[in-house]
Amino acid sequence: MKAINQVNTQESAGEQRMMRGNDVPLRARFRRISQRLMLYLVVLSGSLLMIFPLFWMVSTSIKTIEEANGPTIVWWPAQPQFESYSQLIVDPLWRQYLINSVFVTTLAVAGTLISVAIVAYSLSRVEWPGRNIVFFLLLSTLMIPPQTTLVPQYVLFYNLGWINTFNPIVIPGFFAGGASFVFLLRQFMRSIPRDLDEAAMMDGANHLTIWWRVIVPMCTPVLATIAIFLFVANWNAFQIPLIYLQRTSLYTLPIAINNLYNPQQVSQPWPLIMAASVLATIPLMVGFVVAQRYVFSSIVQTGMR
Amino acid sequence: MESPTTHTLIWVVATVIFIAVSSLAIGHLARWVARLSGKTLAFQERTFAGYAFAAPWLTGFALFVIGPAFFSIYWSFTKYGLPNPPEWVGPANYQRLLTDSAFRVSLLNSLYMTVFGVPAQLVVGLGLAMLLNQAIRGVRVFRMVFYLPVILAGNAAMLLTWRLMLSPNNGVINSILGFLSNAFLPFQWVMQLGIYVTEISNAAFAGLQRGNMTILENTIANGFPAADRLPLWYQSPLWSKPSLVLVGAWSAGMMMVVFLAALKNVPQTMYEAAEVDGASPLQRFRHITLPLIAHATFYNLIIGIIATLQIFEQAYILTRDGGPAQSTYFVAYYLWRATFRFNEVGYGAAMSWVLLLIILIITLVQFRLANRWVYYETK
Repeated sequence: MKAINQVNTQESAGEQRMMRGNDVPLRARFRRISQRLMLYLVVLSGSLLMIFPLFWMVSTSIKTIEEANGPTIVWWPAQPQFESYSQLIVDPLWRQYLINSVFVTTLAVAGTLISVAIVAYSLSRVEWPGRNIVFFLLLSTLMIPPQTTLVPQYVLFYNLGWINTFNPIVIPGFFAGGASFVFLLRQFMRSIPRDLDEAAMMDGANHLTIWWRVIVPMCTPVLATIAIFLFVANWNAFQIPLIYLQRTSLYTLPIAINNLYNPQQVSQPWPLIMAASVLATIPLMVGFVVAQRYVFSSIVQTGMR
Repeated sequence: MESPTTHTLIWVVATVIFIAVSSLAIGHLARWVARLSGKTLAFQERTFAGYAFAAPWLTGFALFVIGPAFFSIYWSFTKYGLPNPPEWVGPANYQRLLTDSAFRVSLLNSLYMTVFGVPAQLVVGLGLAMLLNQAIRGVRVFRMVFYLPVILAGNAAMLLTWRLMLSPNNGVINSILGFLSNAFLPFQWVMQLGIYVTEISNAAFAGLQRGNMTILENTIANGFPAADRLPLWYQSPLWSKPSLVLVGAWSAGMMMVVFLAALKNVPQTMYEAAEVDGASPLQRFRHITLPLIAHATFYNLIIGIIATLQIFEQAYILTRDGGPAQSTYFVAYYLWRATFRFNEVGYGAAMSWVLLLIILIITLVQFRLANRWVYYETK
């Protein structure tokens, strides 16, 4: 499919080159150029709209409170203030929030990633009775919003004494939480030729060895995609931490940032809120830029049937 | 007292051991059943491996989904506030749902978001995808920029940034709108009309929702908006949901990527043939593009509806607790509120079941309707 597309684009590019030749009347050439200009104008202004909130976050974080809450718009402060940042960095509580976020996210991502890879192997590369039923069950959980199991899970974790611990956030992931990722990985594993594991099987390798030595290395791009999605989801997670982490020293960054907003006040400490927001956003941006080349090709694979 | 991180690390190790042991047990059990039914040795081996590898999900499904769900049927018929034991009350919780006006308001607000928010995302997503489908330089960079909001939108940081920007009095968005409407008269007319249409339609919706039309009457009595009027965003019940629609459309990058893949698969020859036949760009879009990407539209629609029913953070952070005047109470938000703010586990359990039922019905209807308009290539 990819090859065909490339041929197509090449063809149309060639066509454009032909059209640009001297025999094309001036007016048509002018129209083509103005159309291109319009296109770039639209794409650029669209990009500006997409980026603008991020710009505003950064610019507000270096304003004074008066500038941020004042009636006139300050696009970029004449005298950037970095006090909000230094205030956050020296605060041991904020260091704790950061550690909590990193801890919870790392464990949840690692546990989910490994267990998802194990389950996807079973659903794609082993033939066993009942596989189709299990696969159907797994797919049907995609249709159930997690909120519908929120209440009963809460009682379970309450009875386990897990309120005010990180367990409810971390542990469920180890049970291949996230059916969509299992599905994505299964689709990819199905496309790996069977000869590979059969050859390994002949050499006396068992399934665990094949999984780890043959299949997992071949799935690196998809695993990277799943890892970045899991990272984003866990780093941004709000509702579950809000329910289970009621003690200040356990807060993750999103909860702590939200608590900076004081609904009782008219004037908010916006520079501080936005500085914390910038700090919480940086890991997301870095992770995304690093992994984005895997991300787009893999979303396409899940999106289509 | 051990530190919270050590505590969790111990539990993680215990969980891994538990999963390993239970996987082996499930695998052996499956093999034993296969042997009893006289299957070949190779079949027994495959049964063992299959069940052992699927076991983490199977045990998780039993422990965190089916098991709790089973109990929650019972709890939904009880008055249950932790730490007190549940108290049987019969179908009282379900009866209360029928008369709970806040629940009805949340359901209708969620419906509003699926009817207006999801199509807005679809339109923006398709528009962005069509832009990226053009031959432009730096398409990778633009794709990244258009996708960026998806990874940011879920974070409290970004939702608070939107609250800051949408401030009706001194927010940057209203400042830009005010500047533009002062500078260009046509822009002012368009905005006045936009404000009028938004307020009338949202007032009509709010009126129908509450069975009380005074809000619509008041809005009509206020007449056509003055020249210096600006949107009220999260401060007004007539603007809070449109604000969330706006933020949703901003983060339509996920849909964009799916649409883009579908657009790339539409054969170029079809457009060329249509162009030769004299089809206008609009006709080509309507009769070639739309039908050939219908499967992507359907996928995005389903995913979009499911995501919309889960809206929580937007209501909690951006509009601060579902406000103003319950205008951003959504089902997931109200479920959380009833259960966790007021510690009514029984009532929350009943609500979960009703929600699950509603979602199943919506999904079934969607798949039924899909047969009529989604065209699958036969390969």
